[in-house]
Amino acid sequence: MAFTITCPVCGPRDGYEFRFGGEDKGPRPEAADLTPAAWCDYVHMADSRPGVQKEWWVHRQGCGAWFTIHRDTVANQEVSLNLLEAAE
Amino acid sequence: MPSVSLKRVSPIALPGRPARTEECHGWPVVLSYAEEGGGPWVADLSHRPRWDLQGPDLDRQQPLGHTIPVRPGEVHLAGGLLINRLNASQAALWHLAGDFPEPPTDPALTEVTEATLCLALAGSRLFGITEKLTSLDLAAPGHTAPRLLQGPFGHVPCQLAVFPGPPGPPMLVFTCSRGYGHDMLHAVLAAGEEFGLRPAGQATFEKALTAHIH
Repeated sequence: MAFTITCPVCGPRDGYEFRFGGEDKGPRPEAADLTPAAWCDYVHMADSRPGVQKEWWVHRQGCGAWFTIHRDTVANQEVSLNLLEAAE
Repeated sequence: MPSVSLKRVSPIALPGRPARTEECHGWPVVLSYAEEGGGPWVADLSHRPRWDLQGPDLDRQQPLGHTIPVRPGEVHLAGGLLINRLNASQAALWHLAGDFPEPPTDPALTEVTEATLCLALAGSRLFGITEKLTSLDLAAPGHTAPRLLQGPFGHVPCQLAVFPGPPGPPMLVFTCSRGYGHDMLHAVLAAGEEFGLRPAGQATFEKALTAHIH
């Protein structure tokens, strides 16, 4: 398998079982003082930087769980949190 | 008021000549086929009662008098009842053998019998067939007890209970949405053709399940 993702329920599985859910953009912005432009940015704009980013995935062909992983977008590999912490 | 008799129909019909049949709770059930052979075989269990259980405190619940396995993927086989832990808040109950139980009244349980297809595959060359249908490693070493996998089988999301055996023969019981039934059976029969896969009845399945219980 070229690309595996670790589901928190099912464990490591073939990447084709999952569907990408977008970058993790952090918590939803507070409604107070929220401008249409800021909301549009939050909903539609992604950083799309090369390197490791936090992403949402759903195990669509398996348990159906939504979860986040860290993925190196250049190598297209999941990066374990332990390795990330060791590198920092 | 006249009594109403329900007529229930499996989503599939196995291609074989039934030798013994009975009607059970409105379901026509084949107990055995004329030429079942020595395996591998496929049996239709769609008539057996199945429920989904959902709740915040599954560890304290006892559906049908049995405890629920603690970790996702664990399976508890009690008599003819298979209890599969799906995740933190969900479990699946499959009553695969024996007398039909009284329908539970617990609102946490949802009956899904007529919403899903349920098939059993077994035989010494079972995993040769399943390798043609899924990338899931059903024959992964190190597993001796039954376990549950959730993933694609024939490209269809399924819940798969794997009985690696011994003492019983390697066996797979799986469910998927009823609408996939016809195509799922077509895929299974096509994959099993080179292995001599034949249809089998409920009696043959119960004999294999009993071997796994003891």
